[in-house]
Amino acid sequence: MLQHSLLLIYRNFKRFKTTFFINLVGLSVGLAGALTIYLWVHDEWSFDRYHATTGRLFQVLENQRTAEGINTKYGTAPLLAEALAEEMPEIKYAAAATPPKFFPKFLLVAKEKIVRADAKFAGKDFFHIFSYNLLQGDASQVLANKTAVVLSQEMAAALFGTAANAVGKTVEWQMGMADLKQTCIVTGVFGPIPANSTEQFDFVLSFDAFKDIMKMGESMNWAEDGPFNTFVVLHEGAEEAQFRTKISGLLQRKLTTNKERALLVQPYADKYLHGEYTNGVPSGGRIEYVQLFSAIAVFILVIACINFMNLATAKASRRLKEIGVKKTLGAGRFSLVAQYLAESVLMSFIALLIALALVELLLPQFNAITGKQLALAFKPHLVLSALGITLITGLLAGSYPAFYLSGLRPVEVLKGRLAGSVADLWTRKGLVVFQFMLSVLFIVCVWVVQRQIAFVQSKDLGYDRNGIVYFEAAGNAAQQPKTFLAELKRLPGVVNASGMWGSFVATNASGVPMEWQGRKIPVNHLGVNYDMLETLGITLKEGRNFSPQFRTDSVQIIVNEAFVASLGLQNPVGQLLENRRIVGVAKDFHYESLHEKVKPFIFRLEPLAAGTILVRLAPGREQETIGRLQRFYSAFNPGQTLTYHFLDEDYQAQYAAERRVGVLAQYFAGLAILISCLGLFGLTAFTAERRRKEIGIRKVLGASEFSIVYLLSSDLTKLVGVAILLALPVSYVVVKRWLESFEYRIALEAWYFLGAGLVAVSVAWLTIGAQAWKASRANPTLSLRDE
Amino acid sequence: MIKIENLEKIYRTEEVQTKALNNVSLAVKEGEFVAIMGPSGCGKSTLLNILGLLDEPDGGSFAFAGTEVAHAPERRRAELRKKHIGFVFQSFNLIEELTVAENVELPLIYLGVGATERKEKVAKVLEKMQIMHRRNHFPQQLSGGQQQRVAVARAVVNSPSLILADEPTGNLDSSNGNEVMELLTELNEAGTTIIMVTHSEHDARYAHRVIRLLDGQVVLEHAHV
Repeated sequence: MLQHSLLLIYRNFKRFKTTFFINLVGLSVGLAGALTIYLWVHDEWSFDRYHATTGRLFQVLENQRTAEGINTKYGTAPLLAEALAEEMPEIKYAAAATPPKFFPKFLLVAKEKIVRADAKFAGKDFFHIFSYNLLQGDASQVLANKTAVVLSQEMAAALFGTAANAVGKTVEWQMGMADLKQTCIVTGVFGPIPANSTEQFDFVLSFDAFKDIMKMGESMNWAEDGPFNTFVVLHEGAEEAQFRTKISGLLQRKLTTNKERALLVQPYADKYLHGEYTNGVPSGGRIEYVQLFSAIAVFILVIACINFMNLATAKASRRLKEIGVKKTLGAGRFSLVAQYLAESVLMSFIALLIALALVELLLPQFNAITGKQLALAFKPHLVLSALGITLITGLLAGSYPAFYLSGLRPVEVLKGRLAGSVADLWTRKGLVVFQFMLSVLFIVCVWVVQRQIAFVQSKDLGYDRNGIVYFEAAGNAAQQPKTFLAELKRLPGVVNASGMWGSFVATNASGVPMEWQGRKIPVNHLGVNYDMLETLGITLKEGRNFSPQFRTDSVQIIVNEAFVASLGLQNPVGQLLENRRIVGVAKDFHYESLHEKVKPFIFRLEPLAAGTILVRLAPGREQETIGRLQRFYSAFNPGQTLTYHFLDEDYQAQYAAERRVGVLAQYFAGLAILISCLGLFGLTAFTAERRRKEIGIRKVLGASEFSIVYLLSSDLTKLVGVAILLALPVSYVVVKRWLESFEYRIALEAWYFLGAGLVAVSVAWLTIGAQAWKASRANPTLSLRDE
Repeated sequence: MIKIENLEKIYRTEEVQTKALNNVSLAVKEGEFVAIMGPSGCGKSTLLNILGLLDEPDGGSFAFAGTEVAHAPERRRAELRKKHIGFVFQSFNLIEELTVAENVELPLIYLGVGATERKEKVAKVLEKMQIMHRRNHFPQQLSGGQQQRVAVARAVVNSPSLILADEPTGNLDSSNGNEVMELLTELNEAGTTIIMVTHSEHDARYAHRVIRLLDGQVVLEHAHV
């Protein structure tokens, strides 16, 4: 039976070549799209899940009630981890750690070797909590000592030539901006951190040492929160729900005043995809893109399956005899269903082979867009999923034709009368409409995403991000900021320069609570040197900039308009807040991405601020000035080279996700339209063939070519029209929702939708029209002689 | 073998109701060769479709080998068709994607006959129908007479007890037509019951008995000697 089915499938493919190729191309492209998205989704999903403690590993978060609602922070107090380990018997391990990107790069020095590296301070059970591959050293011991340092294999090799016997050797670390350094002994070496890890660091130091350096020991108390990450691992079999209840009440017991804070926990594996909290409860994060792209993959496959269904049922009349004869000979419905399903499943497996080749070909491009390192490796999950997706696609594509064809009545079929019920007709029409609805939806999305990205690029941010380079100061530059900045400003091509602590774009947006006359708001602070506002191009609404002429400026601040509005200050300049006087009000500027409203912000004058140096370059001379800057830096700081970045890069990085979505949406919209048009092409070709004799007769009777084109294309054109009408409200809702994630966004204009409809109808009509035109030009005598 | 009583079949359209069969009763014994004749639209093919379990009557009873089957479920009808009935059509109805041998093999596949046995049976029947040399050709490569011989071969390959032939010579010239009629006669002599619908008085002469229909009713029944 199987052999027979395969034979028939093969010969049917041969007989209906056009249909075969349309289905093959459609399904291959659809499967290639779905597989690529699968690889991406799987990679996203796998983030931070490889730790052996997954399931029992949690990060502790803190909810803080403010005037604007509950603010959820990943930052917690430095004393929390130890207190949790002591007080809660459910907890097996707890450790505090500095958050990712907390510091600029450190210098690591061993004998003559100096390398720049990302540091992390962490509690002693850090390597028990996380499964970072410890190659040398014992997880219980590596961070037990305040002088311990655990190096990555790469750093160990860079410092000592080989990682093999690094343990026991001496390394000094230096923090560039301040005069902080410590000599440590290597206690362990860890292997490369997987790419699907949120945390990436080069070496780990003891958190106890950090507390000593920062002199936190005396000042630690529960009233203070902090920026530190706290991780816990529960004992096996510990009751998670009970643990959650207990930890949520912990701060209430510890705090005597200001009880508007509560702890909560998040499974560490959820952090990457569910990293956003709104008003104290999880509100998504990257998971939304995972869901979006999964939906796109399903839609593209469905579109390809619809082609298969439509073409299979449309050409049913050509296979009626086969069905009728088989039924007459006693074939049961099951065997017919099985045959058609086998046909579609086989088809989709052939398509899988082509899809795999396509994926292999396009992955480098896809990786470049998404910034991932995905590869087609023969891993069990990938093989099983590819087979599963292909099988489901085959069954889905074959389901409707199989049940439709096998359900026909033999007598009708043999008489050549296709039941052609109204329901079947509507199903086919409905499928075409659905296909084009999705295509129009994709086009609208692409359009709106592109417009919003263009808007983001051109929006006046309240500061001028172009022509500014920044770098982290180290050595002499960090120690003598005044001289360094003064000499820097004298370089030809340098318009202005200043220093600050931390970074300007996307500063930690949770802010520090500030109180004024009973009103409490979270405020973002930035310690800056003289000339920072001028360098950034931030303009003042009132008051003045910091200036060395005023001796008292070091206890004074410049605030933004949002700050004034939030506290409801009437005459802000001259007001005293927490011992600092406001000397100026800056016009609002976007220090966070345009997703966020401009929030209260304070510039503090710190004449020693030189952690990050910002330099505004004269336009048109950037390259030569940067060369000069590099020579100057090395001369000022013997032995060091300048590593600089453009501020604009940081700005652009805030929209990396949107830009990726934009580019990918473009490709997938292209795919959707391509596959849909293939389907239309097939349907038109089929209609033209079926009506060949009719066309011949009409032409003999004097029909014009135009009237034939109209005859063949009007039905499908109408369907595409209906699809557009249905797609518009749906796409309006979808893009409106997406835009709502931006506080600053474009207005939705009618022509985005009309344009998308026009594109869809034009592409569809070109497809249909070309076929119809060809049919209309055929010599009628040929079609009539056939009979 | 077949006994029908008061069989009725009505075709309905929006405006009119047509009685294709009106109170038809007849019986066919095992081993008989019966011809059904009548003008176009008299209900011959409808009757044959009902006898072949391809269609259901609207009234009356139909006993096949002693069992009532007028309203048997499709599964049972398919079962009976594949075990007991062979069909020969005017337009041959061969599957174009299958070769001669594969077309003939099809009923055996549905009966679940093993591959070796299938090959033997197909070879035997093709030999008998003198079409063996064309076994690997596709239907469209054969003449009408050859195609009908293949169709007959397919109808008899599983040795059904009943063959239903719908205008078996309708698309053939007289010499090819005669050949097919000889074949049917031979099968009948070997014990197969045959019911044949025909327009041709010449063909009807091969049958033992002729039933004439007019407007859905049996108007005359007479035997050939």
